[in-house]
Amino acid sequence: MARQIITQMAYKSGEEMMFGTAKKPVTTKRGMVIGGGYVHPEVVPHPRPGSEKTKKALLREYERANGDALERMVIVGHPTLQVENEHIFQMTHNPEWGGEIAAQTAKQMDDYKAKYGLIAAYRATVADLRKPDMHDMRESDYTREVIASFEQCAKYADIVSIESMGGKEIFDHAIIRNDIAGILFGIGVLGAIDMEWMWDQIVAIAKKNNCIPGGDTNCSEANTAMFMAGGLISKDVPHVFAALARAIAASRTLVAYECGATGPTKDCAYEDPIIKAMAGVPISTEGKTSACAHSDLCGNLIMAVCDMWSNEAVEYHDMFGATTTSVFAEILGYDCAMLNTAIELGYQQQMKEILVNSDMYRDSHSLILAPNNAWEIGNAIVSNRSKGNYASARAGAMKAGEIIMNDPKMKLTGIEKEALTKAMKDLEALPDKEGDFIDMCLKKYKNVKGFSPKSYGL
Amino acid sequence: MKTLNDYSKIFRRYDLETEKAGAAKTVSTDPVLQKIAQFVVNGDEEGILPAVQEALKTKSPLDVINGALIAGMNEVSRLWDEGVYFLPQVILSSDAMNVGIAECEKAMGKAMSRKAKVVTHTAEGDIHDIGQVIVNALLNANGFEVINLGADVPVDKVVSAVKEHRPVMVTGTALMTTTMTAFPKIAHQLKLAGIEIPFVCGGGAVSEEYVTSFELGIWGKEASQAPGMAEDALSGDNWQTMRGKWNG
Repeated sequence: MARQIITQMAYKSGEEMMFGTAKKPVTTKRGMVIGGGYVHPEVVPHPRPGSEKTKKALLREYERANGDALERMVIVGHPTLQVENEHIFQMTHNPEWGGEIAAQTAKQMDDYKAKYGLIAAYRATVADLRKPDMHDMRESDYTREVIASFEQCAKYADIVSIESMGGKEIFDHAIIRNDIAGILFGIGVLGAIDMEWMWDQIVAIAKKNNCIPGGDTNCSEANTAMFMAGGLISKDVPHVFAALARAIAASRTLVAYECGATGPTKDCAYEDPIIKAMAGVPISTEGKTSACAHSDLCGNLIMAVCDMWSNEAVEYHDMFGATTTSVFAEILGYDCAMLNTAIELGYQQQMKEILVNSDMYRDSHSLILAPNNAWEIGNAIVSNRSKGNYASARAGAMKAGEIIMNDPKMKLTGIEKEALTKAMKDLEALPDKEGDFIDMCLKKYKNVKGFSPKSYGL
Repeated sequence: MKTLNDYSKIFRRYDLETEKAGAAKTVSTDPVLQKIAQFVVNGDEEGILPAVQEALKTKSPLDVINGALIAGMNEVSRLWDEGVYFLPQVILSSDAMNVGIAECEKAMGKAMSRKAKVVTHTAEGDIHDIGQVIVNALLNANGFEVINLGADVPVDKVVSAVKEHRPVMVTGTALMTTTMTAFPKIAHQLKLAGIEIPFVCGGGAVSEEYVTSFELGIWGKEASQAPGMAEDALSGDNWQTMRGKWNG
């Protein structure tokens, strides 16, 4: 379907947003209603090194890793589970590998439903093999493999998703130079253009196969910024830049839902609270439970308006308690049981307040993802959506910057304040018109290694 | 929404408590050289070019390189080591220094001599190379010649590049555990070819346990360690000595 831009907020305020309920719930093949009143766990197993060598070995690895998680749900009495397999390179490079793993997991889930009544769902996240500075984003063997993988996986999976890479060549250049214009161009403009091109195709493939087109994430850029900003004592990237990149990412990730994606969104898209406010789709988020894969500074807060609760990725191996996928599925399930109990007891507002207050002022990035602030950023994006990708992304970034600057409880170090002041000044000085901004960027970044405007139809 | 006024019992902002202040020191008593060094410290890529061109009217290119460009960069590295500067400030300073060095090299008619070569790559099947980009910039800023093979590099290409360039060190970056499996293959082939140089591997899920499980491997925890490791390799430390120093 052609992209239909979103110009009205799905929610009236951040206060209205709540975990477990989305404006537009989604139902999977075996009957899991996501965003329909309760939160569901989503576990993400990752294969051990060496298992990628042959299809047979990888099938066996996923059979065990996914199967262990399903079994644990029955052992401890959790009613639902979504399993996500984020493709490793070999699964997308050989599209039939990803397809066979999806088929195998769907069969396991059917068996668990028949035997125990467990309601499970499978999300296949295709690897975006297109590295923008190495491949033509629209015409390369890797591009064709990505599309072929969607065709294979959509036959068996409940949900398909991707972590698309558009604009990363410019973003990588910009993030290590505190260059907010480059971040805006890479994520907000190039990323959005590439997503529109990609998601039109993904939605068509999903619909043809009765599969749910889940969503996208700016993992390759906004999460890179967040991970580089790191913890409280890291000195790689200012945290305020990661926060601004996140707001820009929300404008970019929204494109998937404008093209027909319905959610559940991708778990590692920390921009998802903003997405939920704008699009009303159910969101999957990850926080403290993803410490097995990476650290963040919003481990509880990011749970506040989730519809699925995830762990990002855990490598399959043994722990004292069982295998990692069993252990994490159990932890996620108990977290969901806690949230769902709060809903049943009528304590959801209090629970939301506890989660938000835990982390809201731990970091500027956390502050902008608190539901009320996420809504404000979404509103800035949506209010400028009709002016284009650039105007809405820029408006989102400026709103995020204002929120950080104007909240007296948000304490910043001197160097963070300096970085934010400079970024806001730079944002203010940018051209108003998208065409002028793109012209400026095409000139400014023409020598960035591998940047090819043609990849984006420019 | 109900919010607290005091969060001190919930979390602790170590960043606010340990914030460091500092400023670049003067690196030259010569005002012309000091001005160029200041452009490096400020990461001013546009301002530095006319300043270097002007300086080259009265000074030798080597004096400008050593007395201003490298001296300024050393000051930036010190500020980063002390936690005053963020990485982007180092990269911008490196960019400015490179503009100045290119102008000096033009005046000399030849490339500036570098300390030694380092071959860098990101593993086959892995396109997450921002860590390698940072390693490249830091090595370059510290006077090493970087042979940058880029991302998604096959094992044979890495081995061929090492044979051709004879670096003091080779590095590998990977985000995924399922791509880092290329590293021991590279180490094995280098050993077979009789090239026992330090092979520093790092990034994402690459662990110390994994990298130290094969010969030549040294685990790089942070990109910022790369220049120090290259200095050790240049000084003649073998991979066993370096592993003992940086790992375990």
